[in-house]
Amino acid sequence: MSRPLLSLYRLDRNKLQEVSAQLRDLLARDDRSGLSALLGLGEELARRLAAERWAVGLMLRPDEDAQASPIFASLRRVVKRAALEHVWTSESPALEGRLRAYDVLREEQDIAEAIDRLLDAVRLPWFLQRPGGTGGWLDDDQRETLAQRMEALGPALPDEINAFVEALGGMDGAALVHDRL
Amino acid sequence: MLLFTLAGKVPLVGFFDRAKAVFGLQKDSPTPGSGPAPRAERSDGRQNKAGRPPLPEVSGAASATIEDVLVARAAGSFDEARAILAAIDKGQGLRTVLRAAAALEARDEDEVTTLLPLVRKDSPAWQLRLQVAAALENGPGREDLVARGVKLGAPAWSIAWLRALSSNDDEQRAGLVDLLFEDAALARTVAARDLGFADIKVDNDAIRRYTAFAHGRDVIRRFGAAQVVALLARVDGGSP
Repeated sequence: MSRPLLSLYRLDRNKLQEVSAQLRDLLARDDRSGLSALLGLGEELARRLAAERWAVGLMLRPDEDAQASPIFASLRRVVKRAALEHVWTSESPALEGRLRAYDVLREEQDIAEAIDRLLDAVRLPWFLQRPGGTGGWLDDDQRETLAQRMEALGPALPDEINAFVEALGGMDGAALVHDRL
Repeated sequence: MLLFTLAGKVPLVGFFDRAKAVFGLQKDSPTPGSGPAPRAERSDGRQNKAGRPPLPEVSGAASATIEDVLVARAAGSFDEARAILAAIDKGQGLRTVLRAAAALEARDEDEVTTLLPLVRKDSPAWQLRLQVAAALENGPGREDLVARGVKLGAPAWSIAWLRALSSNDDEQRAGLVDLLFEDAALARTVAARDLGFADIKVDNDAIRRYTAFAHGRDVIRRFGAAQVVALLARVDGGSP
């Protein structure tokens, strides 16, 4: 089984909040048809949603649940389309390990903390968290500061990290990292 | 351990008989040499202000638990339950709260007065209010406790959890959705454990938080939420 690759996305936080609020409202009102429309569900998936006691019950199921899995996939697709723009994908499966453990980065506390935030999936909305997956985000200022601080260490860093720094510094806005979107 | 010593000598005696022996509630005196004798009544034989004989003080009862208290209360042995609480109380937390509530129920003002400052110090203060609210049916009493919990800084997830436990379907669903967005791992755990959703798995990331809150709620429910409500009215109302 191959290790997943980290991708970098430009995050539109307002759009993400908008989609999230819409989803929350539909679930709270248990508006199945509204939810089916938001997620662009086909007839079969819409029927599956309608068969539940409450739509939120389906959303609480495990990611790998056969009934819920295609609905989660639709939800992530909608969120990606609305709020994320793909910037870059690493070619190296070792990037996450390097970011988490490379001693030159770990010795710089501010850099290490920012990287940990960027790789902390708990900070993502529940529908972007995936079991065993890596993900996280930084706002525009934090992203720019991290890119500059890491760039200054460039000669001491391995190629896969420098490629990441180049992508991080070359984009604008908030950054979201994920390996399973 | 005295409980085990007694159990070893009298294997057919039930728990309550052993507990009574430990707590000095038996008519017969304990057998000399069977372990450290429990300290019985106050040595000066004084009665409290209400003319009530003091509860027996005990030592060596560390192996008793809140479960023993609940079992004793369920059997109608309220004095025995109070004696166990007095023995296992460490001066903070749920045991102190229950001890104070039981003292209030028994109108033992001396003990209530002694314990109230400890209950007031209980931290986080919002948690007890919400645990009691969770042990109550929907109604003004529950809403009042939630409002007090919010005032004391109850986090959004705790309020969402409480709503998710409502007996009203719409309220329960809205609470579950709030909880999903506040703390998805806890939402899954509450849905699986409290709401009986068969296809949802308990989330191990949330199980510690779940049990810390739910244990208190369940114990209070079995103990008698009304007694703890009365105690909190004293605590929050500031009456002497």
